[in-house]
Amino acid sequence: MSTLKKLSEYVEKGKSKEARALTQKLLGDNISADKIVHEGIIAGLDAIGEKFAAFAAFVPELMVAAIAAQESLEVLRPKMTQGTLHKTLGTVVIGTVEGDVHDVGKNIVAMMLTGGGFNVIDLGVDVPPAKFLKEVQYHEAEILALSSLYTPTRLAMRDIMEALKTEGLRNKIKVMVGGAPIDQAFCDLIGADGYAPDAPQAVKLARSLLA
Amino acid sequence: MKDDEIYKDRRYRINELREKNEKMTSRERALKAINFEEPDRIPIDNWMVPEIKKRCMDYWGCENEEELLAFLGVDVRDNYGPSYVGQEFKKFDDGTVADLWGVRRKIVTYGKGTFHEGTFKEVAWSPLEHMTGVEEINAYEAWPTPDWWDYSKVKEECAYWHPEYFVLNKGDRLDRTAQLKPMMYLRGIQQTFIDLAVNPDIVECIRDHVVNYFLEYNPKVFEAGGDEIDMFMMGDDMGGQRGPLISVEMWRRYFRDAFRKYCDIAHKYGLKVMYHTCGDVYQLIPEFIENGLDCLQSLQPQATNMDIKRLKQKFGKDLSFQGGMDIQQVLPLGTPEDVRKMVKYAAENAKRGGGYIFGTAHNIQADTHIENVAALFEAYHEYGVY
Repeated sequence: MSTLKKLSEYVEKGKSKEARALTQKLLGDNISADKIVHEGIIAGLDAIGEKFAAFAAFVPELMVAAIAAQESLEVLRPKMTQGTLHKTLGTVVIGTVEGDVHDVGKNIVAMMLTGGGFNVIDLGVDVPPAKFLKEVQYHEAEILALSSLYTPTRLAMRDIMEALKTEGLRNKIKVMVGGAPIDQAFCDLIGADGYAPDAPQAVKLARSLLA
Repeated sequence: MKDDEIYKDRRYRINELREKNEKMTSRERALKAINFEEPDRIPIDNWMVPEIKKRCMDYWGCENEEELLAFLGVDVRDNYGPSYVGQEFKKFDDGTVADLWGVRRKIVTYGKGTFHEGTFKEVAWSPLEHMTGVEEINAYEAWPTPDWWDYSKVKEECAYWHPEYFVLNKGDRLDRTAQLKPMMYLRGIQQTFIDLAVNPDIVECIRDHVVNYFLEYNPKVFEAGGDEIDMFMMGDDMGGQRGPLISVEMWRRYFRDAFRKYCDIAHKYGLKVMYHTCGDVYQLIPEFIENGLDCLQSLQPQATNMDIKRLKQKFGKDLSFQGGMDIQQVLPLGTPEDVRKMVKYAAENAKRGGGYIFGTAHNIQADTHIENVAALFEAYHEYGVY
């Protein structure tokens, strides 16, 4: 089995220590960071995502896989800032909307996006619309990702969409939405660019929004 | 009840239907339903956030919650169990307050200044989150004990509703009999999921503390309640919107044994068991049945695989159901006609042979217009009749 394949397996199985060590070794063997990210880390995340979709993996397994991906990326970080990787995968500003303090789903999405090579700016929970707007501009983000768990708080997403229009930012950024009470119909209703029902699909959506 | 014409007009439809359809007490009705017999109409349970209760009282002219429930024909009355007499819950300078488990909570307001403004008590700090091993967790100084409760008024409080109403012993949201939820409060949700994947000894340690507490606490509650409790309710959230949060194997490994013990204790006292979980738990339902569950609530129709028709067909012989009314799309965003269709669908598909109690998938949230709440209760009385 190739070493990159082995790395993808460690990521998929959530073996953080092993993933870290192997990433170090791969760098030592002069494998490019770009190759390690795509053929090792992202391949592992995609594999666990497929299992999750098929009910062969659940939230705990998804979470430890995302952590292993992050750990592996930490090793690569110094190399990545020297290259073009961030720019190619894009910056995502993510947060739970105002009035809502639920962050588990949002955190899993953030972890998987980070593991998947995106530059993720996590604003946390209970984030006012003005703060989303400010951070999106400051970080020159390509994607804004919004989360909520309660039905009353999801209405804050509509306010953010309106604010983006008012500030003339709407056509400069893609907006993706998620959380238990969100579906495609709600996404369409508020005019967001995409909805994903779970973290693996959120990563795919983020990739497709920037394709 | 206020008797101005406007309120009388608003109450007319529900009063008319109830007069026509009801031939037994609420208690008789609910007991029949959970014993798989057909009563006069499908019993009604009610979950609402306080903001919606207030709006309903204003709309129908009710002076208090008791009047509201009586008018709406709600058959189930909640019993919160014994009174807490332990040490006063610590208050902290940052505005958080400790709960039974020593978990610090804060009040969070949402929808400020809008019609749907409301508040929730959320976890602000989980005391076990950064602990690294079982010794440290065992040494946690705030593990609760059943001695912190005064059980002397349980019987009287339940008997207050008898013989008219059906009494459900359910505890408070924060001290309800459970396994995974207290673990998540104490350890943090994220860390709990990580533990489930890689730290089995920590999962078992916290679970045992939680379970041992309830195994001692519940018999005291049931003993105290005597014949005045009609059903016991426990709850955990095992489902997400699109499937169980954990695998069936993991549920068997960590949660099956105590689930069975909780059911066995209630059965020993002659009580049937209701279990609350949000989300899609379809894959777990055979396990629930095998381990003693009588009634699953509160079916969340927007969750994948939780269609009431399918559940009734597949599991309706062994399991009764409560719920099925959608609070994620239909009640907050739909029309009164959508609400009526939803109630009709559930009634037509779940009422045969008893075994069904009307209810919403969770509390009706503050973003729901009163017209839809009115449509819900009118439809309960219209379509629930046998």
